[in-house]
Amino acid sequence: MPDVFVSETKNIEINPPSGHSKPKNIEKYGLHNHNPLSSYCYYPDEIKFVAKDSKEKIILFLRRHPITNVGWILVSILMVLAPMVLDRFPIIAFLPENFQFIAVLGWYLITIAYTFESFLDWFFSVYVITDERIFDVDFVNLIYREISEANIDQIQDVTVAMGGVVRTIFNYGDILLQTASEVPRIEFEAVPHPDQVAKILRGLRVEEEQEKIEGRVR
Amino acid sequence: MFLNITTLLIAKIFALIGLGIYVVFALVIVKQVGLMIATIEVGPEFWIKLIAYAHLLFAIFVFVAAIIVL
Repeated sequence: MPDVFVSETKNIEINPPSGHSKPKNIEKYGLHNHNPLSSYCYYPDEIKFVAKDSKEKIILFLRRHPITNVGWILVSILMVLAPMVLDRFPIIAFLPENFQFIAVLGWYLITIAYTFESFLDWFFSVYVITDERIFDVDFVNLIYREISEANIDQIQDVTVAMGGVVRTIFNYGDILLQTASEVPRIEFEAVPHPDQVAKILRGLRVEEEQEKIEGRVR
Repeated sequence: MFLNITTLLIAKIFALIGLGIYVVFALVIVKQVGLMIATIEVGPEFWIKLIAYAHLLFAIFVFVAAIIVL
């Protein structure tokens, strides 16, 4: 019998997979990379996180979008240029030359400290999603850091908050996680592709529930 | 002269105290960077450690320079 209708073969764009079964061609989605300064890495290869178990797999590695660094970079440039500008307006000219020299060196010390600490704050404030847990590593300042964690199956609610011109243009936003763990609320601040992150989290929650039903809980 | 010797001596003492505290602060940076690297390894840890140590050396250099120059 002849076919009544034969559909054409089309290249359908597949969304990034959710869940924790590692897709074979993750490079295709442009979300997997080997850049250590990346803000969004799906299935990172080279990241070692001390708090995870040996059997745990890191699904997603996040940090704040690079555009959030513009503020401190501009301030740092201004701080570097400030002594040259102040040469024209000699406000420390009343000091002897040796004091002026040390004052300028001291200013550059403060500039380096500010720049380096701002970079460290961005670099080490990371969010790690494994197949079992989520981690929020906050580098608040040089003498205070905080690591919060919650099991995937303890996530009760995922809210994506994204608003404003810059966030819409660069596609980043906050993700608020309500959990049943000791830390009732975990916040991923200014992470890229928040919708995809929420989708991956949803997939992981479904998979965790499936594991519970099948009795495969680790 | 606008500033007399006693004022400059007090200023020198304050500058040295400030720079001494800064050297301690630079040491804290080195320690904290070490702790963070022990927590999470991403890749450029060597360069971050290098910057932290370079910053500490610069702080010590400024402190010593202040003792000599002031």
